[in-house]
Amino acid sequence: MTTTDDSPETESLHYVADVDEITDGDRVIVDVEGREIAVFNVDGAFHALSNYCIHQGGPACEGLISGSLEVDDEMELTYDSTNKVVSCPWHGWEFEIESGEHLAPTDYRLPTYRVVVQDGAVYLDSY
Amino acid sequence: MGKQTTQTETVTSLEHLETVVDSDFHLSEQQDDFLSYLPSPFHDMLFHESRDIPMGYLKDFYPTAGLLTPVATGNVEMNKVRSQADIIEGKDLLNVDRAIVTPTLNLYLGGVHHDDLAAALAHAYNEWVLDEIYNPDEGIYGPVVVAPQKPQEAAAEIEDRAGEDGIVSVFIPSGGVHPPLGNEQYFPIYAAAENAGLPVQLHSASGTQMLSFPLQFHGSNRYLSNHAPTHAMVHMTHLTDMITRGVPVRFPDLDIVFQEAGLGWVPYMTRRLDNEYSEKRSDAPMLEKMPSEYVDDQFYFTSQPVEGAKDPDYIGPIVGLMGPDNLMFSSDYPHLDFDHSDYLFSALRSNFESSDVANVYGQTALEIYDF
Ligand code: FES
Repeated sequence: MTTTDDSPETESLHYVADVDEITDGDRVIVDVEGREIAVFNVDGAFHALSNYCIHQGGPACEGLISGSLEVDDEMELTYDSTNKVVSCPWHGWEFEIESGEHLAPTDYRLPTYRVVVQDGAVYLDSY
Repeated sequence: MGKQTTQTETVTSLEHLETVVDSDFHLSEQQDDFLSYLPSPFHDMLFHESRDIPMGYLKDFYPTAGLLTPVATGNVEMNKVRSQADIIEGKDLLNVDRAIVTPTLNLYLGGVHHDDLAAALAHAYNEWVLDEIYNPDEGIYGPVVVAPQKPQEAAAEIEDRAGEDGIVSVFIPSGGVHPPLGNEQYFPIYAAAENAGLPVQLHSASGTQMLSFPLQFHGSNRYLSNHAPTHAMVHMTHLTDMITRGVPVRFPDLDIVFQEAGLGWVPYMTRRLDNEYSEKRSDAPMLEKMPSEYVDDQFYFTSQPVEGAKDPDYIGPIVGLMGPDNLMFSSDYPHLDFDHSDYLFSALRSNFESSDVANVYGQTALEIYDF
């Protein structure tokens, strides 16, 4: 989740990158106290996910960022081309970037982190 | 790894084990790696260093089912494993001491339609791995790969290679092989392996399997070799296809009953499907829950021919795993392999509540059939 609220205690913020360094559809990965966290830009909104795959520990956020194959009401195949899914490069588990949820099964998820945008920079909160 | 286990130590991780062996660690060989080793006449015909086709025209000789896979779509970046350094990196990643290295492109060798070329490709692959890949000092071992299409050549290949450093087995790419591997035409391969003291590894490939799936039944010439796998294999295919194409999603009130295939394949198949769906959701994007949940909710299985009924360690767990509510007693009487109604019952009653047993023996049928 992105917030532009500038109230949180600054010491809990961890600098990630300047806003214009994370272009739409891309990500940067930072090491925060030994944990790798990826910050994605999806359509101008920033989302942070753990880079440690819940399947078998692969670098989940380093994989392909893509849309997803879906079906419409008639069960015809459609492709949602919004770049909102990241696929773990090890076995292809697909995670929705905004929620960290695995597309199937949805009760698995990558941990998400709060992102704060302040003065043109992107920060992780609570670190 | 490398640490001695002592009697008092509990083994809680790989670290405690003396040696960790990965017995199926794949190369991702491409034509550039081994084509220069092709024997004539194929070398003269096919090896042109000037040809610059990234995926390799060699791929044309190997059959493909044309499937849309996570590798094809780029969702999975299969690590390149084409050198000893790549293997050492992989072994470190996996924490293994020894790797038995097996092919990828040449998994499809059993389906190559040009028999002589298949044997030549196997030969070239072996030349390459012995020259550049296998290295016992680095814990890198592997098989002699043979083309089952040419058993005499395969036997000669085994004899020639058996004593070489790093060779630990004989590898038959078994997907798509026709006739099945019990046919006497393959006996020279087994004789050569036995003489050399090498085990035979069979490794199938999903892309080739279905190419000769019905043919393989024509090729198996014993009743047992047909009958034991047939019912379960056919139902595995139908069940997977129905779920993947959304039959239970489109027809949520439909109950589907599979008959005469026994029990053990059901828990196997539901778990296999759940695993695979987690990796390949775009093959079935209409699913709203896990494949196993559709099986739980809409699929039923009749019991005959029950396997393992005399084994108390088998029936309880297997029926528990498939879900006693999805199982309905059947006898198949008077067919040869019919089950007497007592047969399953005595195995069930010691393991399940009477209500479960009652469901298996009739309540479930009462619900799903329009009596
Ligand atoms: S480790 Fe990420 S999909 Fe398997």
